[in-house]
Amino acid sequence: MTDLAFLGLADAAEMIRARKLSPVEYTQALLDRTAKLDARYHAYIRPTPDLALAAARQAEGEIMAGRWKGPLHGVPFALKDIIDVAGLPTTAHSKVLIDNVASTDAPVTARLKAAGGIMMGKLATHEFAIGGPSFDLPWPPAVNPWGGKHFPGGSSSGSGVALAAGMVPAALGTDTGGSVRNPASMCGITGLKPTYGRVSRRGVLPLAYSLDHVGPMTRNVRDNALLLQVLAGHDPEDPGSADVEVPNYSADLERGVKGLKIGLIRHFYAEDMQAHPDQAQAIEHAALVLRDLGAEVREIRLAPLEDYSTCVRIIIRCEAYAIHRRWLAERPGDYGDLARQRILDGAAVSSADYIDALRLRARLTKRTLEAMAPLDAALTASSMDPTCRIDDAEGCARAYPRQARQPFNATGQPAIAIPAGFTQDGLPLSLQLVGNPFQEAMIYRIAQAYERATGWTERHPPDL
Amino acid sequence: MDKDRAREIAAAEGLTKLDEKQLAQSVASGRELAEKLPKDLHWSEEIALIFRLPTPKDTGR
Repeated sequence: MTDLAFLGLADAAEMIRARKLSPVEYTQALLDRTAKLDARYHAYIRPTPDLALAAARQAEGEIMAGRWKGPLHGVPFALKDIIDVAGLPTTAHSKVLIDNVASTDAPVTARLKAAGGIMMGKLATHEFAIGGPSFDLPWPPAVNPWGGKHFPGGSSSGSGVALAAGMVPAALGTDTGGSVRNPASMCGITGLKPTYGRVSRRGVLPLAYSLDHVGPMTRNVRDNALLLQVLAGHDPEDPGSADVEVPNYSADLERGVKGLKIGLIRHFYAEDMQAHPDQAQAIEHAALVLRDLGAEVREIRLAPLEDYSTCVRIIIRCEAYAIHRRWLAERPGDYGDLARQRILDGAAVSSADYIDALRLRARLTKRTLEAMAPLDAALTASSMDPTCRIDDAEGCARAYPRQARQPFNATGQPAIAIPAGFTQDGLPLSLQLVGNPFQEAMIYRIAQAYERATGWTERHPPDL
Repeated sequence: MDKDRAREIAAAEGLTKLDEKQLAQSVASGRELAEKLPKDLHWSEEIALIFRLPTPKDTGR
C-alpha cells in the first residue's frame, strides 16, 4: 500500500499506460487510505468515492480499449473547496456557502476531467482562502502529517496535507498572497504559483481578483510540470487570462543548470526578516548546490519585503471586502472570527489608499522585472520558519506574515516552493524559485536539478 | 477616534450587526497600512492599469 500511496503522477501514468496498474485498484487504494487516515488529518471536506470509482472504471475501460489520453488518464486528483465541480457544493470551508452547489465545472476542473483524471473530492481550505487555522467552522482545519499535530500552512491546507499523507498524487490550490506555496513549504511538497493569467480562475471563488492564481500541487517537480501542462491555456472568459502560447513544461526538465544565471535575494530572509537559522541555512546550502551544478549564483537586491507586503495586503483587503460586503452586513455570524476580521479590514481602507496600492504595485513590478531581466531565475525563502503546532494560536499568527511569497503575487511572476531539507526536529524546510513572466519551464528546470541533487522529496512523514 | 470612524463606516456600509470593536480594529489596522504606503508616488509615473479595452488582436478584427 505504501508504494501506491507515494507513487508520483508521472510514475503512475507510466504504469497505467503500460497496463501494469489498474486505475480502479489505484483509486480504491487511495480511497481506503483516505478513509483510514483522514479522521486524523482532515484533508478532505468532502471525499467523493462513488464519483471517483465511476470515473476510474471509465478510464480503465478507455485505456484497455487503447484510448490513452495522456499522463493524467486514470490518475486521482483532488481540489481545494473553492473550485467548482458541477453538482457538488463549493463551500470555501464556510457556513456562509454550505449549500452553494456549483452548476458547472470550473475550466480547471473540466481540463483535468477531460484529461482523464479521477476527481477524489473537495479539500479543506482556510475559510474563503484567507487566514487560519480556524476552529469555529463547520469542518475542522487540516492537520500536517509532519509532526502529527502541526499547522499545514494555508490557505490550500487540505491540498498540502492530502499530498504529504499520500492520499492523492496531485491537487489544486489557489494563491493570492502565497496560499499554494505556504502549505507546500509547511508540508514538504511542491507547489507552483504560475504566472498571473497562465491558468483560468473562472469558476473559482475569488479572494482578490487582481492577485488570484490557481496552481498545481504535487510531491515532486516532474509531476508538477505534467499537471500544469493540463491546466495552462487561455480562457477568453477570464479577463485576467493571458493569450500566450503554452510550451512543453517537461521538455527541458533534465537539461541541468550549467551556465544559468540565478539571483539570490538574500535580504528578504537575512535583513528584511530574520529567518529561522535552519531555514536560512537551507537556502544558503541550496545556493551552493546550484553553484556546484554549474549555475552562476549572485546576490541581487529588490525593494524591501515590507513594500510588497503593504501593497498586497491593501489590495487583498479591498478586493475581498468588495466581494463579501453584503454577506458581512447580513450574516456576519456565519463567518469564523478570523476570516470575518481579515475581510472586514477592507471596509476601513480608503479608495485613495487602494489606488495608491495599485500604483505601488506598478512601480514594484517594473523594478522587479528590470532586476530579473538579466537572470534566468531567482532563489529566496518561501516561509521564514518551519511549521508550529496547530493549537499554538500565537505561533501560527506570528509565523503567518513571516514569508517572502507576496512579492510575486504583486508582480505576477511564476514562483515555486519546493522541499529544501528538514529541521533537527524533522519538520520540512523549503525554498522558493522565481521566474520571469511565463517562464515556468525555466524554474521547473532549476527545481528539478536541485531536487535530483538533494533527494529531499523521497522522504515522507514518519509512520505513514 | 477609531471608534467614531468605525461607527461612520458601520452606518455607511450597513454593518450594523457587527461588534463595534471589530470595526475599530479594522480602522486601526487600515491606518497603519496606509502610513506604510510610499509618499512619492507621482501621478505621471505610476499609472495603475485598472481598465483595458480588447485590442484588435483580442477580438480577431
